Amino acid sequence: MGAINRNQQTSAPWRVGVLFSKTGFMSVIEETQLRGTLIAIDEINDRGGVNGRPIEPVVYDPGSEVRSYGQYAKRLMVEDGVSTIFGCYTSSSRKAVLPVVERLDGLLWYPTLYEGFEFSPNVIYTGATPNQNTVQLCKALMQQFGNRFFFVGSDYVYPRESNRVMRELVRANGGTIVGERYLRLEADRSEFLPLVRDIKHAQPDVIFSTVVGESTTFLYQAYHDLGLNPKTVPIASLTTTEAEIRAMGYDVGEGHFTAASYFQGVDTASNSGFVSQYQKRYGSDEPTNMCLEASYFQVNLFARTLEQTNSMDTRRLRTSVMGAEFEAPQGCVSINPVWGHADVWTRIGRANRKGQFDIVFESSSSVKADPYLIGYGRSLENASCR
Amino acid sequence: MQITGRRRLSTEKQMPEMSRADYGHDRWIGNKSETRAAPDDRTARNIAPEFTVAVIVERDDHGEFLIRELQRQRIAVRHIWPKPAQIPLQYDAIFCLLSDDLPQRIPWVPGEPSSALILVDDGKAPLNLKLIHNCAAHGLLHYPATSRMIQSVLMMAREHFQYERRLRGRIDKLDENMRTMRLVERAKALLIRLKNLSEEEAYNFLRKQAMEKRVTIGAVAAAVIDSHELLS
Repeated sequence: MGAINRNQQTSAPWRVGVLFSKTGFMSVIEETQLRGTLIAIDEINDRGGVNGRPIEPVVYDPGSEVRSYGQYAKRLMVEDGVSTIFGCYTSSSRKAVLPVVERLDGLLWYPTLYEGFEFSPNVIYTGATPNQNTVQLCKALMQQFGNRFFFVGSDYVYPRESNRVMRELVRANGGTIVGERYLRLEADRSEFLPLVRDIKHAQPDVIFSTVVGESTTFLYQAYHDLGLNPKTVPIASLTTTEAEIRAMGYDVGEGHFTAASYFQGVDTASNSGFVSQYQKRYGSDEPTNMCLEASYFQVNLFARTLEQTNSMDTRRLRTSVMGAEFEAPQGCVSINPVWGHADVWTRIGRANRKGQFDIVFESSSSVKADPYLIGYGRSLENASCR
Repeated sequence: MQITGRRRLSTEKQMPEMSRADYGHDRWIGNKSETRAAPDDRTARNIAPEFTVAVIVERDDHGEFLIRELQRQRIAVRHIWPKPAQIPLQYDAIFCLLSDDLPQRIPWVPGEPSSALILVDDGKAPLNLKLIHNCAAHGLLHYPATSRMIQSVLMMAREHFQYERRLRGRIDKLDENMRTMRLVERAKALLIRLKNLSEEEAYNFLRKQAMEKRVTIGAVAAAVIDSHELLS
């Protein structure tokens, strides 16, 4: 884009796009991602911005509508003249933004765990992929609870794809899938009681849930109402964070498992500052979570990269961010130059009575991203931060 | 992977040979009388699929020339003016006058076009490269246009459009293949272990089954893995 050379002396803001849903059934989690993004931007601006210029977010609320993500991405790039976008939780929304950023050469920063098997020169992925959460979760569950799995998920791309990966892992380790059910994304409370009855009937050792959004609450509450015991048949999830536990009630969430790169209880210097900052701003009973944390650290990685490039040009930003490291709340993370995915930590947590997760497994460092499961998760390959 | 919102997969259409001009009676246009050029040999050449072009420009001398030249190429041309709020979807190619609000009038998101889009620059406004970038078009025609310019920009735009579409199709196919390959590898490993086959034999077994049952090799591989799980 030779025609829009920026004046080097300018103090005009760096404009960036932000696309998370504040309304609709995905708002429970996306609202926290929005907050993480805005906190990071505010912190950077309080320090004087990037090379003397503040970051200015242009924020739209797609209202949990998949199509709107694509339309707003177009609007951001075409009407607002933005080339870098932070956003998206569901894989369907990411796939709606993908053609836009690819054709107009933008850069989407995607702060959510997802099912892997994707690569785009116009996306930086900062959430975990299956080799960074699913592999270890499967191992731990089979060791502790048994090998009969029941899969339950929301009916869209991510649950079906991550169940495909989980199925391979369970079978490779001699386990079986005793049932598999999907409910629509907007499923209401009444649909979960019969489902949990079916699950009870199938007598699994573990319920693996990829239910996302508001209905997460309904699943765990139905489980609780039917008197199942997490000590013998826990729900294990990749998406149930502190935010969802809070929404369902601490007593309802207690004893269930989640694999994530980050929990509020992670013991790092950077995390204690992060949590207290967040709670100062949003209230002392507001928990942090993995998606919020990824949203926060990816803006910081972006700012650090922008400091070097002093340009919003997608190719330059992308080239410079490869291999970049950041001391994130979860620990040191880096962008894997082979895949443009973040090398993040592997952790497994068990929810306690206070709505927090007790960490029962933690990798010794961040784990290299392997979005296509080429290593098939045989071992956790550690990445090293300097 | 599903393909949504794509009007039709007109992959390798030949340049149209048939002669038809039916511009002038579109619902967006008021009072232009119809001009039909060379309707005589229409039936004789009616085998080739119809290639339709919408022309969304003012009907001044330049516009008239553009429409006439397209008709001379024996293309079904439809003139639309004033410019509609949303560009219609049902044409193979669209010539559209460049204006500041054109990106908002394009109904598809960039990267998933339904038609080959050719911008028409009448040279009245200052050059705006950012606007041209935002339209994500396949070609650009400047006034005053010549017959050669019109023919070549239409050909290049169609080629770009179809090439993009083929590449997207290839990526979809690759994604699907990658999934299949994982299944085939695992099924092969099972067969090698359980039936004491060599790798070559295991693969041939899968392929033969697929051919006999007329299903994909991925489906056979999935069945092998499933049944092994059931039996063990």
